[in-house]
Amino acid sequence: MTRMPQLTIPKAAGIGLRSPHIAEMLTRRPSAGWLEVHAENYMGNSAQVAALETLRQIYPLSVHGVGLSLGSANGLDRDHLKRLAKVVSRFEPDLVSEHLAWSAADGAYLNDLLPLRYDEAALAIVADNVMLVQDTLKRHVQIENLSAYLEFTNSTMTEAEFLAALVKRTGCGLLLDINNVYVSAHNLGFDAARFIDTLPADAIGEIHLAGHAVNKIGNDTVLIDDHGSRVPPAVWSLYASAIRKLGPRPTLIEWDTALPTFEVLLGEAMWADMLVASIEFARRGSTPATTRNHAGRQPSIVVPFDRKPSPSSMPVLAAFETVRSNGFAEAHQPGRNGHAHA
Amino acid sequence: MLTLECLQHTVARAILGVPQFGLSPLLEAGGADPIQRLRIYQNNTRASLTSTLIAVFPVTTRLVDERFFRYAAGAFISFHPPSEPRLVRYGAEFPNFLRTFDGLSEMPFVAEIARLEWAIAEALDAASLPAADIGALKATGEAVPELPLQPSLRFVISHWPVMSIWSAHQESGDLDRLDASTRNPERVALWRSGDNVRFALLTSAEFSFRSSLKAGLGLERAVARALTHDPMFDVAGALVRLFRDELVIDIRNNRND
Repeated sequence: MTRMPQLTIPKAAGIGLRSPHIAEMLTRRPSAGWLEVHAENYMGNSAQVAALETLRQIYPLSVHGVGLSLGSANGLDRDHLKRLAKVVSRFEPDLVSEHLAWSAADGAYLNDLLPLRYDEAALAIVADNVMLVQDTLKRHVQIENLSAYLEFTNSTMTEAEFLAALVKRTGCGLLLDINNVYVSAHNLGFDAARFIDTLPADAIGEIHLAGHAVNKIGNDTVLIDDHGSRVPPAVWSLYASAIRKLGPRPTLIEWDTALPTFEVLLGEAMWADMLVASIEFARRGSTPATTRNHAGRQPSIVVPFDRKPSPSSMPVLAAFETVRSNGFAEAHQPGRNGHAHA
Repeated sequence: MLTLECLQHTVARAILGVPQFGLSPLLEAGGADPIQRLRIYQNNTRASLTSTLIAVFPVTTRLVDERFFRYAAGAFISFHPPSEPRLVRYGAEFPNFLRTFDGLSEMPFVAEIARLEWAIAEALDAASLPAADIGALKATGEAVPELPLQPSLRFVISHWPVMSIWSAHQESGDLDRLDASTRNPERVALWRSGDNVRFALLTSAEFSFRSSLKAGLGLERAVARALTHDPMFDVAGALVRLFRDELVIDIRNNRND
Protein backbone atom coordinates (compact mmCIF):
# COMPACT_ATOMS: atom_id res chain seq x y z
CA MET A 1 0.00 0.00 0.00
CA THR A 2 1.24 3.47 -0.88
CA ARG A 3 2.28 5.64 2.03
CA MET A 4 0.21 8.84 2.10
CA PRO A 5 1.85 12.22 2.64
CA GLN A 6 0.65 14.28 5.59
CA LEU A 7 -1.52 17.01 4.12
CA THR A 8 -3.42 19.29 6.46
CA ILE A 9 -6.81 20.60 5.42
CA PRO A 10 -6.55 24.40 5.21
CA LYS A 11 -9.11 26.82 6.63
CA ALA A 12 -10.30 27.36 3.09
CA ALA A 13 -12.81 25.95 0.65
CA GLY A 14 -12.72 22.39 -0.64
CA ILE A 15 -15.00 20.36 -2.84
CA GLY A 16 -16.94 17.15 -2.46
CA LEU A 17 -15.43 14.71 -4.94
CA ARG A 18 -18.05 12.79 -6.91
CA SER A 19 -17.26 10.00 -9.37
CA PRO A 20 -18.20 11.86 -12.62
CA HIS A 21 -15.52 14.46 -11.80
CA ILE A 22 -12.72 12.05 -10.99
CA ALA A 23 -11.32 11.74 -14.52
CA GLU A 24 -11.14 15.54 -14.81
CA MET A 25 -9.47 15.82 -11.41
CA LEU A 26 -6.83 13.31 -12.50
CA THR A 27 -6.03 15.01 -15.79
CA ARG A 28 -6.39 18.68 -14.84
CA ARG A 29 -5.39 18.66 -11.17
CA PRO A 30 -7.21 21.94 -10.52
CA SER A 31 -6.36 24.09 -7.54
CA ALA A 32 -9.01 22.84 -5.17
CA GLY A 33 -8.04 23.48 -1.57
CA TRP A 34 -8.99 20.00 -0.40
CA LEU A 35 -11.32 17.10 -1.16
CA GLU A 36 -13.99 15.26 0.72
CA VAL A 37 -15.35 11.85 -0.24
CA HIS A 38 -18.15 9.68 1.07
CA ALA A 39 -16.54 6.79 2.93
CA GLU A 40 -19.11 4.29 1.64
CA ASN A 41 -18.04 4.82 -1.98
CA TYR A 42 -14.48 3.78 -1.23
CA MET A 43 -15.00 0.54 0.65
CA GLY A 44 -14.49 -1.74 -2.36
CA ASN A 45 -11.66 -2.01 -4.87
CA SER A 46 -13.12 -0.16 -7.84
CA ALA A 47 -11.20 2.04 -10.25
CA GLN A 48 -12.27 5.15 -8.31
CA VAL A 49 -10.58 3.80 -5.19
CA ALA A 50 -7.32 3.58 -7.12
CA ALA A 51 -7.95 7.10 -8.47
CA LEU A 52 -8.43 8.47 -4.97
CA GLU A 53 -5.12 6.95 -3.89
CA THR A 54 -3.49 9.04 -6.63
CA LEU A 55 -5.43 12.21 -5.76
CA ARG A 56 -4.68 11.78 -2.07
CA GLN A 57 -0.98 12.23 -2.89
CA ILE A 58 -1.76 15.81 -3.98
CA TYR A 59 -4.86 16.99 -2.13
CA PRO A 60 -5.65 17.04 1.59
CA LEU A 61 -8.54 14.68 2.21
CA SER A 62 -11.56 14.44 4.45
CA VAL A 63 -13.52 11.19 4.75
CA HIS A 64 -17.20 11.74 5.36
CA GLY A 65 -19.27 8.76 6.46
CA VAL A 66 -22.95 8.67 5.56
CA GLY A 67 -23.98 5.20 6.68
CA LEU A 68 -22.76 4.50 10.21
CA SER A 69 -26.12 5.36 11.80
CA LEU A 70 -24.64 6.73 15.03
CA GLY A 71 -28.14 7.22 16.41
CA SER A 72 -29.27 3.61 16.05
CA ALA A 73 -30.72 2.44 19.35
CA ASN A 74 -29.64 -1.15 18.71
CA GLY A 75 -25.98 -0.29 18.37
CA LEU A 76 -23.52 0.22 15.57
CA ASP A 77 -23.00 -2.18 12.67
CA ARG A 78 -19.55 -3.49 13.70
CA ASP A 79 -18.77 -4.75 10.22
CA HIS A 80 -19.44 -1.33 8.79
CA LEU A 81 -17.28 0.30 11.44
CA LYS A 82 -14.46 -2.05 10.44
CA ARG A 83 -14.91 -1.04 6.83
CA LEU A 84 -14.74 2.63 7.82
CA ALA A 85 -11.56 1.91 9.79
CA LYS A 86 -10.08 0.28 6.70
CA VAL A 87 -10.89 3.32 4.55
CA VAL A 88 -9.32 5.59 7.18
CA SER A 89 -6.13 3.54 7.37
CA ARG A 90 -5.96 3.28 3.58
CA PHE A 91 -6.30 6.99 2.82
CA GLU A 92 -5.09 8.52 6.10
CA PRO A 93 -7.44 11.51 5.81
CA ASP A 94 -6.86 14.66 7.83
CA LEU A 95 -10.52 14.76 8.92
CA VAL A 96 -13.17 12.11 9.50
CA SER A 97 -16.82 12.95 10.01
CA GLU A 98 -20.27 11.39 10.39
CA HIS A 99 -23.82 12.51 11.16
CA LEU A 100 -26.01 12.93 14.20
CA ALA A 101 -28.65 10.68 12.68
CA TRP A 102 -29.95 7.18 12.30
CA SER A 103 -30.36 5.37 8.99
CA ALA A 104 -30.91 1.76 9.91
CA ALA A 105 -33.36 -0.22 12.02
CA ASP A 106 -34.02 -3.98 12.16
CA GLY A 107 -31.27 -4.64 9.67
CA ALA A 108 -32.80 -2.37 7.00
CA TYR A 109 -30.68 0.51 5.76
CA LEU A 110 -32.89 3.40 4.60
CA ASN A 111 -30.25 5.41 2.74
CA ASP A 112 -31.46 8.60 4.40
CA LEU A 113 -30.50 10.48 7.55
CA LEU A 114 -33.25 10.60 10.16
CA PRO A 115 -33.40 12.84 13.20
CA LEU A 116 -33.36 11.58 16.78
CA ARG A 117 -35.63 12.22 19.67
CA TYR A 118 -33.28 14.56 21.50
CA ASP A 119 -33.28 13.36 25.11
CA GLU A 120 -30.94 11.87 27.72
CA ALA A 121 -31.57 8.30 26.55
CA ALA A 122 -30.59 9.15 22.98
CA LEU A 123 -27.60 11.15 24.18
CA ALA A 124 -26.31 8.13 26.10
CA ILE A 125 -26.68 5.92 23.01
CA VAL A 126 -25.06 8.35 20.59
CA ALA A 127 -22.24 9.17 23.04
CA ASP A 128 -21.46 5.44 23.42
CA ASN A 129 -21.47 4.99 19.66
CA VAL A 130 -19.25 8.02 19.06
CA MET A 131 -16.80 6.81 21.73
CA LEU A 132 -16.69 3.39 20.07
CA VAL A 133 -15.97 5.00 16.68
CA GLN A 134 -13.25 7.23 18.13
CA ASP A 135 -11.67 4.29 19.97
CA THR A 136 -11.76 2.15 16.84
CA LEU A 137 -10.36 4.84 14.55
CA LYS A 138 -7.98 6.10 17.27
CA ARG A 139 -8.86 9.68 16.43
CA HIS A 140 -11.51 12.29 16.99
CA VAL A 141 -14.39 12.49 14.59
CA GLN A 142 -16.59 15.43 13.68
CA ILE A 143 -20.34 15.08 13.97
CA GLU A 144 -22.63 16.89 11.56
CA ASN A 145 -26.01 18.48 12.26
CA LEU A 146 -28.95 17.30 10.19
CA SER A 147 -31.39 18.66 7.69
CA ALA A 148 -34.81 17.59 8.90
CA TYR A 149 -38.40 17.62 7.71
CA LEU A 150 -39.94 16.53 11.00
CA GLU A 151 -39.07 16.03 14.64
CA PHE A 152 -40.14 13.60 17.32
CA THR A 153 -42.38 14.59 20.18
CA ASN A 154 -41.02 14.48 23.74
CA SER A 155 -37.56 15.81 22.90
CA THR A 156 -36.13 17.43 26.01
CA MET A 157 -33.46 19.46 24.22
CA THR A 158 -32.81 20.99 20.83
CA GLU A 159 -30.51 19.41 18.29
CA ALA A 160 -27.94 22.13 18.97
CA GLU A 161 -28.05 21.52 22.74
CA PHE A 162 -27.74 17.81 22.07
CA LEU A 163 -24.64 18.40 19.91
CA ALA A 164 -23.12 20.64 22.57
CA ALA A 165 -23.69 17.93 25.20
CA LEU A 166 -22.23 15.31 22.87
CA VAL A 167 -19.04 17.35 22.47
CA LYS A 168 -18.74 17.55 26.26
CA ARG A 169 -19.21 13.82 26.73
CA THR A 170 -17.08 12.48 23.92
CA GLY A 171 -14.64 15.23 22.99
CA CYS A 172 -15.80 14.91 19.39
CA GLY A 173 -15.64 17.82 16.98
CA LEU A 174 -18.53 19.31 15.06
CA LEU A 175 -19.18 19.65 11.38
CA LEU A 176 -21.52 22.58 10.97
CA ASP A 177 -23.66 22.21 7.86
CA ILE A 178 -24.95 25.72 7.25
CA ASN A 179 -27.42 24.60 4.59
CA ASN A 180 -28.80 21.97 6.97
CA VAL A 181 -29.29 24.59 9.68
CA TYR A 182 -31.11 26.81 7.22
CA VAL A 183 -33.27 24.00 5.84
CA SER A 184 -34.23 22.61 9.26
CA ALA A 185 -34.82 26.07 10.73
CA HIS A 186 -37.27 26.79 7.93
CA ASN A 187 -38.95 23.38 8.00
CA LEU A 188 -39.30 23.13 11.76
CA GLY A 189 -39.58 26.79 12.64
CA PHE A 190 -36.53 27.58 14.74
CA ASP A 191 -33.96 30.38 14.69
CA ALA A 192 -30.96 29.45 12.56
CA ALA A 193 -28.61 32.01 14.13
CA ARG A 194 -29.47 30.87 17.64
CA PHE A 195 -28.80 27.27 16.62
CA ILE A 196 -25.27 28.20 15.57
CA ASP A 197 -24.76 30.31 18.71
CA THR A 198 -25.66 27.31 20.87
CA LEU A 199 -22.86 25.17 19.43
CA PRO A 200 -19.47 25.27 21.16
CA ALA A 201 -17.53 27.40 18.63
CA ASP A 202 -14.14 25.81 19.33
CA ALA A 203 -15.46 22.36 18.46
CA ILE A 204 -16.48 23.34 14.93
CA GLY A 205 -13.71 21.98 12.73
CA GLU A 206 -15.48 22.06 9.39
CA ILE A 207 -18.37 23.70 7.60
CA HIS A 208 -20.57 22.34 4.80
CA LEU A 209 -22.33 24.47 2.18
CA ALA A 210 -24.83 23.26 -0.41
CA GLY A 211 -27.97 24.16 -2.28
CA HIS A 212 -31.48 23.04 -1.53
CA ALA A 213 -34.78 22.79 -3.40
CA VAL A 214 -38.00 24.58 -2.51
CA ASN A 215 -41.09 22.35 -2.64
CA LYS A 216 -44.70 23.38 -2.23
CA ILE A 217 -46.92 20.68 -0.75
CA GLY A 218 -50.36 22.24 -0.38
CA ASN A 219 -49.87 25.25 1.90
CA ASP A 220 -46.64 23.88 3.22
CA THR A 221 -43.39 25.18 1.74
CA VAL A 222 -40.67 22.65 2.49
CA LEU A 223 -36.99 23.06 1.79
CA ILE A 224 -35.49 19.83 0.50
CA ASP A 225 -31.80 19.27 1.14
CA ASP A 226 -31.01 17.88 -2.30
CA HIS A 227 -27.47 19.24 -2.79
CA GLY A 228 -28.52 19.89 -6.37
CA SER A 229 -27.88 23.58 -7.01
CA ARG A 230 -25.66 26.55 -6.20
CA VAL A 231 -25.47 27.71 -2.61
CA PRO A 232 -28.41 30.13 -2.36
CA PRO A 233 -28.00 33.73 -1.11
CA ALA A 234 -29.68 33.06 2.24
CA VAL A 235 -27.21 30.26 2.96
CA TRP A 236 -24.23 32.46 1.99
CA SER A 237 -25.64 35.02 4.39
CA LEU A 238 -25.84 32.58 7.25
CA TYR A 239 -22.34 31.36 6.37
CA ALA A 240 -21.02 34.92 6.48
CA SER A 241 -22.47 35.49 9.93
CA ALA A 242 -21.05 32.16 11.13
CA ILE A 243 -17.58 33.03 9.79
CA ARG A 244 -17.73 36.43 11.51
CA LYS A 245 -18.37 34.62 14.75
CA LEU A 246 -16.06 31.63 14.30
CA GLY A 247 -13.33 32.91 12.02
CA PRO A 248 -12.33 30.93 8.91
CA ARG A 249 -12.97 27.18 8.92
CA PRO A 250 -12.39 24.45 6.34
CA THR A 251 -15.50 24.81 4.18
CA LEU A 252 -16.83 22.21 1.81
CA ILE A 253 -19.02 22.72 -1.25
CA GLU A 254 -21.31 19.69 -1.48
CA TRP A 255 -23.13 18.83 -4.68
CA ASP A 256 -24.73 15.41 -5.10
CA THR A 257 -27.64 15.55 -7.53
CA ALA A 258 -27.81 17.21 -10.96
CA LEU A 259 -24.01 17.58 -10.87
CA PRO A 260 -22.77 20.74 -12.60
CA THR A 261 -19.64 21.08 -14.70
CA PHE A 262 -16.49 21.05 -12.71
CA GLU A 263 -15.97 24.81 -13.21
CA VAL A 264 -19.24 25.62 -11.46
CA LEU A 265 -18.19 23.57 -8.47
CA LEU A 266 -14.77 25.23 -8.32
CA GLY A 267 -16.49 28.60 -8.76
CA GLU A 268 -18.60 28.00 -5.67
CA ALA A 269 -15.48 27.13 -3.70
CA MET A 270 -13.79 30.32 -4.93
CA TRP A 271 -16.87 32.30 -3.92
CA ALA A 272 -16.60 30.90 -0.37
CA ASP A 273 -12.91 31.83 -0.22
CA MET A 274 -13.64 35.36 -1.44
CA LEU A 275 -16.40 35.81 1.09
CA VAL A 276 -14.12 34.70 3.93
CA ALA A 277 -11.30 36.92 2.64
CA SER A 278 -13.54 39.98 2.58
CA ILE A 279 -14.74 39.26 6.11
CA GLU A 280 -11.15 38.81 7.27
CA PHE A 281 -10.07 42.08 5.64
CA ALA A 282 -12.97 43.83 7.28
CA ARG A 283 -12.18 42.24 10.63
CA ARG A 284 -8.54 43.30 10.52
CA GLY A 285 -9.49 46.85 9.81
CA SER A 286 -12.31 47.11 12.31
CA THR A 287 -12.37 48.28 15.88
CA PRO A 288 -13.59 46.02 18.66
CA ALA A 289 -16.82 48.02 18.72
CA THR A 290 -17.47 47.17 15.09
CA THR A 291 -16.81 43.52 15.77
CA ARG A 292 -19.46 43.52 18.43
CA ASN A 293 -21.75 45.19 15.96
CA HIS A 294 -21.22 42.37 13.50
CA ALA A 295 -21.87 39.66 16.00
CA GLY A 296 -25.26 40.96 16.96
CA ARG A 297 -26.43 41.69 13.46
CA GLN A 298 -29.02 39.74 11.55
CA PRO A 299 -27.45 37.95 8.59
CA SER A 300 -28.26 39.91 5.49
CA ILE A 301 -25.26 39.45 3.26
CA VAL A 302 -25.76 37.82 -0.08
CA VAL A 303 -22.52 38.65 -1.84
CA PRO A 304 -18.99 38.40 -0.62
CA PHE A 305 -18.77 42.09 0.07
CA ASP A 306 -19.92 43.55 3.30
CA ARG A 307 -22.70 45.97 2.50
CA LYS A 308 -22.59 47.65 5.87
CA PRO A 309 -20.00 50.34 5.98
CA SER A 310 -16.98 48.91 7.65
CA PRO A 311 -13.37 49.76 7.06
CA SER A 312 -11.41 47.52 4.86
CA SER A 313 -7.80 47.10 3.98
CA MET A 314 -8.78 46.34 0.38
CA PRO A 315 -8.61 49.78 -1.28
CA VAL A 316 -11.52 49.18 -3.63
CA LEU A 317 -13.73 47.87 -0.86
CA ALA A 318 -12.74 50.77 1.34
CA ALA A 319 -13.74 53.17 -1.42
CA PHE A 320 -17.07 51.42 -1.85
CA GLU A 321 -17.68 51.61 1.82
CA THR A 322 -16.88 55.29 1.96
CA VAL A 323 -19.46 55.92 -0.71
CA ARG A 324 -21.99 53.67 0.94
CA SER A 325 -21.54 55.02 4.42
CA ASN A 326 -22.30 58.48 3.10
CA GLY A 327 -25.53 57.10 1.69
CA PHE A 328 -26.54 54.87 4.54
CA ALA A 329 -25.16 57.19 7.17
CA GLU A 330 -24.29 55.27 10.25
CA ALA A 331 -23.26 58.80 10.85
CA HIS A 332 -22.58 58.63 14.54
CA GLN A 333 -19.54 56.55 14.21
CA PRO A 334 -16.97 59.12 13.19
CA GLY A 335 -13.57 57.79 12.45
CA ARG A 336 -14.79 54.48 11.03
CA ASN A 337 -14.28 55.57 7.46
CA GLY A 338 -10.92 55.76 5.88
CA HIS A 339 -9.06 54.14 8.73
CA ALA A 340 -8.08 51.04 7.01
CA HIS A 341 -5.17 49.25 8.57
CA ALA A 342 -3.33 46.40 7.09
CA MET B 1 -43.39 6.84 25.69
CA LEU B 2 -41.87 4.44 23.18
CA THR B 3 -38.25 3.47 23.65
CA LEU B 4 -35.93 4.87 20.99
CA GLU B 5 -35.55 1.38 19.56
CA CYS B 6 -39.34 0.95 19.14
CA LEU B 7 -39.64 4.45 17.74
CA GLN B 8 -36.96 3.76 15.13
CA HIS B 9 -38.50 0.39 14.28
CA THR B 10 -41.93 1.98 13.73
CA VAL B 11 -40.63 4.88 11.66
CA ALA B 12 -38.37 2.66 9.55
CA ARG B 13 -41.29 0.38 8.70
CA ALA B 14 -43.38 3.41 7.76
CA ILE B 15 -40.63 4.74 5.52
CA LEU B 16 -40.44 1.39 3.75
CA GLY B 17 -44.15 1.67 3.01
CA VAL B 18 -45.57 -0.64 5.68
CA PRO B 19 -48.59 1.18 7.17
CA GLN B 20 -48.07 1.93 10.89
CA PHE B 21 -50.80 2.85 13.37
CA GLY B 22 -50.39 5.60 15.91
CA LEU B 23 -47.64 7.47 14.10
CA SER B 24 -49.09 10.99 14.28
CA PRO B 25 -48.65 11.49 18.04
CA LEU B 26 -44.95 10.67 17.69
CA LEU B 27 -44.20 13.34 15.12
CA GLU B 28 -44.13 17.13 14.84
CA ALA B 29 -43.19 19.46 12.01
CA GLY B 30 -43.47 23.06 13.15
CA GLY B 31 -46.93 24.03 11.93
CA ALA B 32 -47.03 21.53 9.08
CA ASP B 33 -48.63 18.09 8.80
CA PRO B 34 -46.00 15.65 10.07
CA ILE B 35 -47.43 12.73 8.08
CA GLN B 36 -46.96 14.75 4.88
CA ARG B 37 -43.40 15.41 5.98
CA LEU B 38 -42.82 11.72 6.64
CA ARG B 39 -43.63 11.16 2.95
CA ILE B 40 -40.52 13.17 2.09
CA TYR B 41 -38.43 10.50 3.83
CA GLN B 42 -40.41 7.76 2.08
CA ASN B 43 -39.75 9.46 -1.27
CA ASN B 44 -36.08 10.02 -0.50
CA THR B 45 -35.53 6.38 0.34
CA ARG B 46 -37.47 5.08 -2.61
CA ALA B 47 -36.08 7.58 -5.14
CA SER B 48 -32.45 7.21 -4.11
CA LEU B 49 -32.56 3.41 -4.03
CA THR B 50 -34.44 3.31 -7.34
CA SER B 51 -31.71 5.47 -8.91
CA THR B 52 -29.14 3.08 -7.49
CA LEU B 53 -30.88 0.13 -9.17
CA ILE B 54 -31.32 1.97 -12.48
CA ALA B 55 -27.59 2.73 -12.48
CA VAL B 56 -26.73 -0.94 -11.90
CA PHE B 57 -29.33 -2.38 -14.29
CA PRO B 58 -29.47 0.03 -17.28
CA VAL B 59 -30.20 -2.59 -19.96
CA THR B 60 -32.82 -4.29 -17.80
CA THR B 61 -34.39 -0.84 -17.41
CA ARG B 62 -34.53 -0.41 -21.19
CA LEU B 63 -35.92 -3.89 -21.75
CA VAL B 64 -38.95 -3.38 -19.53
CA ASP B 65 -39.33 0.40 -19.91
CA GLU B 66 -38.28 2.78 -17.15
CA ARG B 67 -41.80 3.22 -15.73
CA PHE B 68 -42.23 -0.51 -15.24
CA PHE B 69 -38.70 -0.77 -13.85
CA ARG B 70 -39.50 1.91 -11.27
CA TYR B 71 -42.65 0.04 -10.29
CA ALA B 72 -40.68 -3.20 -9.89
CA ALA B 73 -37.89 -1.39 -8.01
CA GLY B 74 -40.43 0.12 -5.61
CA ALA B 75 -41.78 -3.31 -4.75
CA PHE B 76 -38.27 -4.73 -4.42
CA ILE B 77 -37.17 -1.91 -2.08
CA SER B 78 -40.10 -2.57 0.26
CA PHE B 79 -39.44 -6.32 0.40
CA HIS B 80 -35.66 -6.24 0.24
CA PRO B 81 -34.33 -2.96 1.62
CA PRO B 82 -30.54 -2.71 1.69
CA SER B 83 -29.04 -4.59 4.61
CA GLU B 84 -25.97 -2.37 4.78
CA PRO B 85 -24.80 1.11 3.74
CA ARG B 86 -22.58 0.11 0.81
CA LEU B 87 -24.97 0.80 -2.03
CA VAL B 88 -22.65 -0.88 -4.55
CA ARG B 89 -23.72 -4.08 -2.81
CA TYR B 90 -27.42 -3.33 -3.23
CA GLY B 91 -29.30 -5.31 -5.86
CA ALA B 92 -27.85 -8.83 -5.56
CA GLU B 93 -31.34 -10.30 -5.05
CA PHE B 94 -32.96 -8.13 -7.71
CA PRO B 95 -32.49 -10.57 -10.67
CA ASN B 96 -34.20 -13.35 -8.71
CA PHE B 97 -36.93 -10.98 -7.61
CA LEU B 98 -37.61 -10.09 -11.26
CA ARG B 99 -37.84 -13.75 -12.24
CA THR B 100 -41.22 -14.11 -10.55
CA PHE B 101 -42.37 -10.47 -10.57
CA ASP B 102 -45.72 -9.43 -12.13
CA GLY B 103 -45.77 -10.52 -15.73
CA LEU B 104 -42.02 -11.02 -16.03
CA SER B 105 -42.23 -14.79 -15.66
CA GLU B 106 -43.31 -14.69 -19.31
CA MET B 107 -40.03 -12.94 -20.18
CA PRO B 108 -37.34 -14.94 -18.37
CA PHE B 109 -34.55 -13.26 -20.33
CA VAL B 110 -35.19 -10.01 -18.41
CA ALA B 111 -34.06 -11.58 -15.16
CA GLU B 112 -31.15 -13.20 -17.02
CA ILE B 113 -29.98 -9.81 -18.30
CA ALA B 114 -30.29 -8.48 -14.77
CA ARG B 115 -28.08 -11.36 -13.61
CA LEU B 116 -25.44 -10.36 -16.18
CA GLU B 117 -25.64 -6.72 -15.11
CA TRP B 118 -25.21 -7.69 -11.47
CA ALA B 119 -22.07 -9.67 -12.39
CA ILE B 120 -20.78 -6.54 -14.16
CA ALA B 121 -21.48 -4.42 -11.06
CA GLU B 122 -19.60 -6.91 -8.88
CA ALA B 123 -16.64 -6.94 -11.26
CA LEU B 124 -16.47 -3.13 -11.28
CA ASP B 125 -16.17 -3.07 -7.48
CA ALA B 126 -13.42 -5.70 -7.39
CA ALA B 127 -9.68 -5.16 -7.67
CA SER B 128 -7.89 -5.24 -11.01
CA LEU B 129 -4.44 -6.69 -10.29
CA PRO B 130 -1.32 -6.75 -12.48
CA ALA B 131 -1.29 -9.83 -14.70
CA ALA B 132 1.39 -12.53 -14.63
CA ASP B 133 3.41 -13.21 -17.78
CA ILE B 134 3.10 -16.51 -19.61
CA GLY B 135 6.87 -16.57 -19.98
CA ALA B 136 7.19 -17.25 -16.27
CA LEU B 137 5.11 -20.40 -16.71
CA LYS B 138 7.74 -22.03 -18.94
CA ALA B 139 10.47 -21.43 -16.43
CA THR B 140 8.88 -23.55 -13.71
CA GLY B 141 9.86 -27.09 -12.78
CA GLU B 142 7.87 -30.30 -13.06
CA ALA B 143 5.15 -29.63 -10.48
CA VAL B 144 1.85 -28.30 -11.81
CA PRO B 145 1.60 -24.66 -10.76
CA GLU B 146 -1.47 -22.99 -9.31
CA LEU B 147 -2.85 -20.09 -11.31
CA PRO B 148 -4.86 -17.67 -9.16
CA LEU B 149 -7.14 -15.52 -11.35
CA GLN B 150 -8.29 -11.90 -11.23
CA PRO B 151 -10.60 -11.31 -8.24
CA SER B 152 -13.03 -9.45 -10.51
CA LEU B 153 -13.59 -12.49 -12.78
CA ARG B 154 -17.28 -13.48 -12.90
CA PHE B 155 -19.15 -16.14 -14.89
CA VAL B 156 -22.67 -16.06 -16.24
CA ILE B 157 -24.23 -19.06 -17.95
CA SER B 158 -27.67 -18.64 -19.43
CA HIS B 159 -30.18 -20.42 -21.65
CA TRP B 160 -30.64 -17.05 -23.30
CA PRO B 161 -28.21 -15.08 -25.48
CA VAL B 162 -27.61 -12.59 -22.65
CA MET B 163 -24.34 -11.23 -23.98
CA SER B 164 -25.84 -10.59 -27.43
CA ILE B 165 -28.89 -8.85 -25.97
CA TRP B 166 -26.73 -6.78 -23.65
CA SER B 167 -24.31 -5.78 -26.45
CA ALA B 168 -27.15 -4.77 -28.76
CA HIS B 169 -28.31 -2.32 -26.10
CA GLN B 170 -24.95 -0.57 -25.81
CA GLU B 171 -24.29 2.70 -27.63
CA SER B 172 -22.41 0.92 -30.39
CA GLY B 173 -24.96 -1.91 -30.51
CA ASP B 174 -27.36 -2.70 -33.32
CA LEU B 175 -30.80 -3.63 -32.03
CA ASP B 176 -32.00 -4.61 -35.51
CA ARG B 177 -29.48 -7.41 -35.73
CA LEU B 178 -30.81 -8.89 -32.55
CA ASP B 179 -33.24 -11.70 -33.14
CA ALA B 180 -34.62 -12.21 -29.67
CA SER B 181 -36.54 -15.27 -30.76
CA THR B 182 -33.35 -17.29 -31.20
CA ARG B 183 -32.72 -18.99 -27.95
CA ASN B 184 -29.03 -19.84 -27.88
CA PRO B 185 -27.39 -20.51 -24.59
CA GLU B 186 -24.38 -18.30 -23.85
CA ARG B 187 -21.51 -18.72 -21.43
CA VAL B 188 -19.88 -15.45 -20.46
CA ALA B 189 -16.73 -14.65 -18.54
CA LEU B 190 -16.30 -11.01 -17.54
CA TRP B 191 -13.74 -9.11 -15.53
CA ARG B 192 -12.60 -5.58 -14.78
CA SER B 193 -9.74 -4.02 -16.69
CA GLY B 194 -9.07 -0.46 -15.48
CA ASP B 195 -12.28 1.53 -15.85
CA ASN B 196 -13.85 -1.04 -18.16
CA VAL B 197 -15.26 -4.53 -18.10
CA ARG B 198 -13.98 -7.10 -20.59
CA PHE B 199 -16.08 -10.01 -21.80
CA ALA B 200 -15.41 -13.38 -23.39
CA LEU B 201 -17.95 -15.83 -24.81
CA LEU B 202 -16.77 -19.33 -24.02
CA THR B 203 -17.40 -22.88 -25.17
CA SER B 204 -18.74 -25.22 -22.52
CA ALA B 205 -15.28 -26.81 -22.14
CA GLU B 206 -13.44 -23.52 -21.73
CA PHE B 207 -16.16 -22.21 -19.42
CA SER B 208 -15.69 -25.28 -17.28
CA PHE B 209 -11.89 -24.85 -17.36
CA ARG B 210 -11.92 -21.21 -16.32
CA SER B 211 -14.67 -21.48 -13.71
CA SER B 212 -12.97 -24.52 -12.14
CA LEU B 213 -9.70 -22.61 -11.92
CA LYS B 214 -11.49 -19.62 -10.41
CA ALA B 215 -13.14 -21.91 -7.88
CA GLY B 216 -9.67 -23.00 -6.78
CA LEU B 217 -9.90 -26.60 -8.01
CA GLY B 218 -6.38 -26.46 -9.43
CA LEU B 219 -5.06 -26.80 -12.96
CA GLU B 220 -5.27 -30.56 -13.21
CA ARG B 221 -8.88 -30.85 -12.12
CA ALA B 222 -9.84 -27.86 -14.26
CA VAL B 223 -8.39 -29.61 -17.31
CA ALA B 224 -10.09 -32.88 -16.37
CA ARG B 225 -13.45 -31.12 -16.10
CA ALA B 226 -12.97 -29.37 -19.44
CA LEU B 227 -12.16 -32.70 -21.07
CA THR B 228 -15.50 -34.14 -19.94
CA HIS B 229 -17.18 -31.41 -22.00
CA ASP B 230 -14.88 -31.84 -24.97
CA PRO B 231 -12.43 -34.74 -25.29
CA MET B 232 -10.49 -32.67 -27.87
CA PHE B 233 -10.14 -29.67 -25.49
CA ASP B 234 -7.00 -27.73 -26.44
CA VAL B 235 -5.27 -27.19 -23.10
CA ALA B 236 -2.34 -25.18 -24.48
CA GLY B 237 -4.65 -22.86 -26.42
CA ALA B 238 -6.85 -22.31 -23.35
CA LEU B 239 -3.80 -21.46 -21.23
CA VAL B 240 -2.55 -18.96 -23.81
CA ARG B 241 -5.96 -17.29 -23.93
CA LEU B 242 -6.08 -17.18 -20.14
CA PHE B 243 -2.79 -15.26 -20.03
CA ARG B 244 -3.62 -13.14 -23.07
CA ASP B 245 -6.82 -12.01 -21.32
CA GLU B 246 -4.59 -10.95 -18.39
CA LEU B 247 -6.60 -13.13 -16.04
CA VAL B 248 -3.70 -14.89 -14.31
CA ILE B 249 -2.34 -12.82 -11.46
CA ASP B 250 0.32 -15.20 -10.17
CA ILE B 251 2.07 -18.49 -10.90
CA ARG B 252 2.40 -20.45 -7.67
CA ASN B 253 4.55 -23.52 -7.75
CA ASN B 254 3.45 -26.30 -5.40
CA ARG B 255 6.37 -27.81 -3.56
CA ASN B 256 4.75 -31.06 -2.52
CA ASP B 257 7.16 -33.38 -4.32
